[in-house]
Amino acid sequence: MSRALRITVVALAAQLMAGAAFAQDAAAPDGKALFHEKCAMCHGPGGMGTGLLARRVQPAELEKRDNLNADYVFQYARRGLGNMPPIPPGEASDPQLRAIAAYLAAGPGGRK
Amino acid sequence: MADIVLPPGLTPARLDAARREFAGVVGEQNLFFDALDRDSYRDKFAIDDGAHKPLGAIAPATAEEVSGVVRIAAKMKTPLWPISRGKNLGYGGTAPALSGTIVLDLSRMKKIEVDVDNATVLVEPGVGFYDLYDHLRANNIPLWLSTPANSWGSVIGNALDRGVGYTPYGENTSKLCGLEVVLPDGDIVRTGMGAMATAPTWQLYRYGFGPAWDQMFAQSNFGVVTKAGLWLMPEPETVMGMDVEFERPEDLGPLIDTLGPLRREGLLQANPTIGNWMRAAAVVTRRSDWTDKPGALSDEVIDAIRKKFGMGWWGVSLRIFGREDVNKAIYPILEKAMTDLKPLSLKPFNWSRGQPVEANPAMGVPTTFPMQSANWHGARGGHIGFSPVLPQSGARAMDQFRQTYARYKEYGMDYQASFAFGERHLLNVNALQFNKDDPAMMARVDPFLKALIADARARGYCEYRTHLDYMDTVAETYDFNDHALRRLNQRVKDALDPAGIIAPGKSGIWTSAQMKERHA
Repeated sequence: MSRALRITVVALAAQLMAGAAFAQDAAAPDGKALFHEKCAMCHGPGGMGTGLLARRVQPAELEKRDNLNADYVFQYARRGLGNMPPIPPGEASDPQLRAIAAYLAAGPGGRK
Repeated sequence: MADIVLPPGLTPARLDAARREFAGVVGEQNLFFDALDRDSYRDKFAIDDGAHKPLGAIAPATAEEVSGVVRIAAKMKTPLWPISRGKNLGYGGTAPALSGTIVLDLSRMKKIEVDVDNATVLVEPGVGFYDLYDHLRANNIPLWLSTPANSWGSVIGNALDRGVGYTPYGENTSKLCGLEVVLPDGDIVRTGMGAMATAPTWQLYRYGFGPAWDQMFAQSNFGVVTKAGLWLMPEPETVMGMDVEFERPEDLGPLIDTLGPLRREGLLQANPTIGNWMRAAAVVTRRSDWTDKPGALSDEVIDAIRKKFGMGWWGVSLRIFGREDVNKAIYPILEKAMTDLKPLSLKPFNWSRGQPVEANPAMGVPTTFPMQSANWHGARGGHIGFSPVLPQSGARAMDQFRQTYARYKEYGMDYQASFAFGERHLLNVNALQFNKDDPAMMARVDPFLKALIADARARGYCEYRTHLDYMDTVAETYDFNDHALRRLNQRVKDALDPAGIIAPGKSGIWTSAQMKERHA
């Protein structure tokens, strides 16, 4: 058991999974559900992506950002950047990734 | 098309014909052959970015589609590299061993069937630890996962590559119970009790009748696993234990000699992992926060980091799971064993059912933050694994540690390692952190790895798992009777997969005709 697990954020499991969704290749991509299914493990509270982004930008959680561009999110996710590995199309298809990007680009104030 | 690498013997015309047939099985929208697609399946942490280039990817959604793809691949001689989710980044991720291989991406196969009464689950390869965790919590199923610390990967992929978790069910491959496998000719077989079409015992009894084949498909290229049964742990009444830190490098030997008997006796049900300071520190800080000097970190810097975060040179978390009365009886025995070793610190842990659960794999909760260690060097960080198998001997572990640490210093690398218990063995898991934007460092990684593998071999230790670059090298170290195991694997490969379609080169296994592709 890594000691790191005791040093970093301790979150309630219920909090960690709040809003979790279980969509599988939905016909009409739901950006929010897809974000929680495919991205929140790293970019939600306590995730690797949140932890690393917090070293240089606030807020670090992508859902709290109001300055994300959809094309940028798509390219970043598909190509990978820095410590983020590419997300291949078998894991998130182009339509799914675009739905996620649009959801994030809408920002906290622009979502339903 | 200029960047395409074709596998040996495949022509562009035959590839085009194969693609048309693949599209007939999975749909054109599930074929991924453009440049961006190919790049997304490359090895993120590659030492050599010119190696392991996939030709493209195919993403089937069912076992029947996998069978259809495999039949076409066998006919058209297009090799396939099956991945579950491809998140084992330190071992090659989504990339194939042989450039020009098509990735068979099983990420879309995400079915989950839980048998609550019997504490088992039947999953498909695309089911990640988070998917299964979500499913269990959403349905109020009181079963716990055994998940690795970097939990974004596939449940099946982890078990088949012999990854580990931190609960009493931590040796994940030993919790497999029944597989569904597409063989290299497209035939679909079920192992164990699943060989009987109507058996309600597929996930309950591993062995069936006659030979038991589950482990034949672990770390192999004899088929494509499309379903796996796995045992899950009933939620315990309590979890107790302690987090213990040790001050000196030489504390490792006595700690191993203390924990080994407790593990073999069964007082410790879960496998403890002893991690060095950097395994914890690299998650919460970066090298550049402490020094700009190249080469392995000095003792002064290491001590400053340890002091800042209150870390020992080594640390271990012990956890016991189950009834409160039993755990309360075990706890003082463990506490005395640790206290007798005069640790730097000992912090008790106590959880009871109904209390909040911390985000910690030892509590069956998946996490990703440990992968923050990839940012140790800043820039484009990465790591590669080196994981020899040792006996549970303090003297041998200290010897391995001293020699390995000296190699890290010789090659100017920062030492990150753990010694993870099994029931009878130790895995000395090293994560070699590197900076892909430092060409001088990257040039040292390959000779460093080869020196470590040779050192281990001289002591009689082989690795349990390795990166794509070293599969042939590690397979070569299994040398009894002039590599009789390699001959056996090759005979099986030739018999089941004469065209060498499934994962050529996986674990150093090739057909007779493909042997020239070996790198050893």
